[in-house]
Amino acid sequence: MKLIIDESRCKGCNLCTLVCPYKIFREGSRLNEKGIVVPEFNGPERCTNCRLQKLYGRRLCGMCQLTCPDQAIKWVEEERFEDMKVVIEY
Amino acid sequence: MPSVSEWYRADRMPHIFCTGCGNGTVLNCTLQAASDMGWEIDDTVFVSGIGCSSRASGYTAADSLHTTHGRALAFATGVKMAHPEFNVVVFTGDGDLSAIGGNHFIHACRRNIDMTVICMNNMIYGMTGGQGSPCTPRGAFSTTTPYGAQEPTFDLAELAVAAGANYVSRWTTYHVKQLTDSIKTGMETPGLSFIETMSQCPTSYGRKNKLRQPLDMIEYLRDHSILISKKRRLEAEGKVIPDTTFAVGEFVRRSRPVMGLKR
Ligand SMILES: Cc1ncc(C[n+]2csc(CCOP(=O)(O)OP(=O)(O)O)c2C)c(N)n1
Ligand code: SF4
Ligand code: SF4
Ligand code: SF4
Ligand SMILES: [Mg+2]
Repeated sequence: MKLIIDESRCKGCNLCTLVCPYKIFREGSRLNEKGIVVPEFNGPERCTNCRLQKLYGRRLCGMCQLTCPDQAIKWVEEERFEDMKVVIEY
Repeated sequence: MPSVSEWYRADRMPHIFCTGCGNGTVLNCTLQAASDMGWEIDDTVFVSGIGCSSRASGYTAADSLHTTHGRALAFATGVKMAHPEFNVVVFTGDGDLSAIGGNHFIHACRRNIDMTVICMNNMIYGMTGGQGSPCTPRGAFSTTTPYGAQEPTFDLAELAVAAGANYVSRWTTYHVKQLTDSIKTGMETPGLSFIETMSQCPTSYGRKNKLRQPLDMIEYLRDHSILISKKRRLEAEGKVIPDTTFAVGEFVRRSRPVMGLKR
């Protein structure tokens, strides 16, 4: 699973930067088209839920999602990598 | 059984709450608890009064009644007495519940009507621009207390205990897991369950009290809360507890006679 912030909802309150035990969210630096500074990720693959939700069949941790006042934090299915095509040139 | 995301009314999002307002967090915890209960959306009614907090009912997928200021509990009583089979959840603010609606509050607790009442206590009238409420802490600034509030505050959880509610707890928007569990326990307990959530209003409260950033306000709530077990122990030892702190945890869980139980 992949952690995402829905930029159409996030209002940039930064509460997620306080509650994540792994400090995966940190204050952003770039204004998006709505004029909001959305937090950035720092090693999102460390998120407990990204790693273990499938295994346990339920949401784990979830502190950020419960706290986010704007319902902007979600997990999506990770896109599978395209099968690698190796072209050998002679 | 609907998943938690189905409990939100996605077509109304993003909601009108300000950046970092605690009301959105309380909505999350409530809908998570409703989903954990395995309730059906069509068997549930959300009722609210007037105020920013009271807007929360309109963001749920269930039927909701957004009523008049202070009267959420009166409407909810009507719904529950006419249709005891419904799950009734009330969203209300500190002003809505304890100022204009104070009488409805004590009598709903006395009657112990089977519903879950969730109060977003942001210590202010948020919607109307920051007038002091019965819950504004002593010394805090608001548009009606320009020299700092002088009156003692209402302890809503203790009031609900004294008035007879079967389940009473208080948490903050920092304690999201405890809050969710507590709302679920309230939903499971027959009779009136009162869950008070200390919640941040950076716009109307924070701006006047040097807590303008949502992070500052949520840290304030975290740092001024004290577990009720610890508070009772300190009191027994005769220690003084600063009056700016508030107790969090479960205040009471009991089984007084109940009205409006599912038949
Ligand atoms: C009968 C009546 N009186 C006054 C008002 C104005 N009014 C609207 S919201 C509000 C206070 C809301 O405070 P609270 O319940 O704490 O909600 P918050 O906005 O803080 O969440 C008041 C006084 C009203 N709408 N109706
Ligand atoms: S808590 Fe939600 S709204 Fe606030 S900054 Fe994080 S993602 Fe955005
Ligand atoms: S689920 Fe927990 S670990 Fe994962 S990003 Fe959210 S707060 Fe951090
Ligand atoms: S005024 Fe306060 S309570 Fe109302 S939406 Fe804004 S932050 Fe929330
Ligand atoms: Mg209020």
